[in-house]
Amino acid sequence: MILIMAWRNIWRSTTRSLVVIGAIAVGIWAALSLTGFATGMVKSYVNNAVKNIVSHIQVHQPEFLDENEVKFNIPDVAEVEQAIRSEEGVKSVSLRSIANGMISSSKGARGVVIKGVVPEDEARVSALEENTVEGEFLSEEGRNPILISEELGRKLNVGLRSKVVLNFQDRGGSITAAAFRVVGIFDTGNKPFDQSHVFVRRSDLNGLLASPADSALAGGALAHEAAIMVNDIRNVDTIAFSLGAELPNLKVQTYREISPDLELYEGQIKNISLIYLTVIMLALVFGIINTMLMAVLERIKELGMLMAIGMNKLRVFFMIVLESVMLGLVAMPVGLLLGYITIEYVGKNGIDMSMYAKGLESFGMSSIIYFELDPGVYGQVAIGVFLTAVLASIYPALKAIRLRPVEALRTL
Amino acid sequence: MKVITTKGVVKVYNPDKIPVKALNGVDLEIKEGEFTAIVGPSGSGKTTLLNVIGGLDRPDEGDVEVGGHDIDAMSDNDLIDFRKEHIGFVFQAYNLIPVLTARENVEFVMLLQNRPKKERRERAEELLRAVGLEDKMDKRPSELSGGQQQRVAVARALAPKPDFILADEPTANLDSKSSANLLDIMAELNREEKITFVFSTHDQRVIDRARRIVTLVDGKVSSDEVRGE
Ligand SMILES: Nc1ncnc2c1ncn2[C@@H]1O[C@H](COP(=O)(O)OP(=O)(O)OP(=O)(O)O)[C@@H](O)[C@H]1O
Ligand SMILES: [Mg+2]
Repeated sequence: MILIMAWRNIWRSTTRSLVVIGAIAVGIWAALSLTGFATGMVKSYVNNAVKNIVSHIQVHQPEFLDENEVKFNIPDVAEVEQAIRSEEGVKSVSLRSIANGMISSSKGARGVVIKGVVPEDEARVSALEENTVEGEFLSEEGRNPILISEELGRKLNVGLRSKVVLNFQDRGGSITAAAFRVVGIFDTGNKPFDQSHVFVRRSDLNGLLASPADSALAGGALAHEAAIMVNDIRNVDTIAFSLGAELPNLKVQTYREISPDLELYEGQIKNISLIYLTVIMLALVFGIINTMLMAVLERIKELGMLMAIGMNKLRVFFMIVLESVMLGLVAMPVGLLLGYITIEYVGKNGIDMSMYAKGLESFGMSSIIYFELDPGVYGQVAIGVFLTAVLASIYPALKAIRLRPVEALRTL
Repeated sequence: MKVITTKGVVKVYNPDKIPVKALNGVDLEIKEGEFTAIVGPSGSGKTTLLNVIGGLDRPDEGDVEVGGHDIDAMSDNDLIDFRKEHIGFVFQAYNLIPVLTARENVEFVMLLQNRPKKERRERAEELLRAVGLEDKMDKRPSELSGGQQQRVAVARALAPKPDFILADEPTANLDSKSSANLLDIMAELNREEKITFVFSTHDQRVIDRARRIVTLVDGKVSSDEVRGE
């Protein structure tokens, strides 16, 4: 009956209760949506970085990472490639040879990282082919094709079919230069990356890199980097670990090790949801305290009467807490459902942030954000709301049991 | 014996500012089964005396014993439980729980006593029938007249079979017909259930029905008259 009483009590002041219930529901919705948005942003950032730039796992010769010199290539490339391809869970591999050099046109010159790739392998590992917005992706046809970014094209004032010259050191230490023709323009959305990277065929680059002394490396035998995508990102650590054991002389790194910022962002997702939840619950606490305090103060006489006829303090306390919890429990399904619908809808259709996209893209995010939420967050929010309702009712409930029946009854 | 005894009870309000001696040495003994009216001019201490007996208020001096229990030795929360088991209260107004129906109001104290549902139900219906409200059982207080509300309050006070019922001007808000009706019910229950009634009143017609009349003046018992029926 105390349950019934509490339930009917919250509907004595319908408007007031509906206002709090609405506020709690909106709070839940906001906590869920904001967390979904933040998670979506982080995931979008990580995914973009993975598919445009870092891939899941990279393998290098350890000295190459320190010195970045062409002579530190991966030894026995064919065997390494074979080992990686046969590793369980590996989806695709792209072997790249890398040279640091200069690209120049009649308008100017810039330092760039030149990556030599096997076009079809690269297309399976990175989004470079999709990101080719003008012209064509690299292919086996034509002489010395090159992909440059829109950014770089603008800086060098070159476009499709323009000729550019690459200068770099070969493995023997002499400077070589060669002319390349722009066949495609790419745009990953990440400006710093785009400005500083160009892509050519690995066979072309290797032919230029191999000094006369090591012409054996000229064809497919020279590579500095193996970029790997796995089937399921959750297994990335185990796969990297077993690759590391198999390739003891090489350095195997996951995207988190290559780009520690990605790990940092991923790790923040949990904190983000807790912070949103805390802030919103804190705001709700005051709303609930206020409502419950009003409910207690306008019922002083009645509470005095209840204590006079034998309702003890524990029960009075419990009744007030129950009223507050009921407000929360009524609001909870509404808020959770609204949040769920929002997350699912925006998770499918995405929300177009192109109004702010200029900013977003220069940070390496997509302009369309798909909300995403770890299902555990719903439970977290539900528990949070429950605790908030209990916490917020403590002060009003204490106020109620501190009343002395006579004084309460005398209050007019 | 389920008796009420007060010895030298003094109750002072506002001890710091302008002290008011609401009770100024009340010695009284009320025996089991009595039907006693407390009368006296306004401000003579009737309400205060009933509150002190019921443990709603604590005396500043003197002893109050109710059914062998020393009221002063109990904590506030013990007093609440004591009232739940032994004392039924009827106030002048604001007696009922507004969100509960008449039946639920009557059941309420029995519920606090954890009585089984069936017993609660039967007792509530029996009492509501006894006070003539069998057709109003599922009405909320706001749908009842003042007299009907007071009858529900009496039924609720009686429901847990208390030893004592303390009623502070139970008829003050009622017309004479409702008052007479309520008094009939109280007198009958007093006879049949052997419940001790103590009530304060200004109403001469109510005073006429009492079997003992204690008159208070300025917080003291000025006369104590026992009448046969
Ligand atoms: N909380 C209080 N603070 C100060 N004085 C009080 C308080 N309660 C009662 N009094 C005073 O104590 C005295 C006795 O009051 P009480 O209510 O017991 O009288 P009463 O006989 O019930 O009067 P009435 O017939 O008007 O109900 C009065 O002088 C009253 O003003
Ligand atoms: Mg009075």
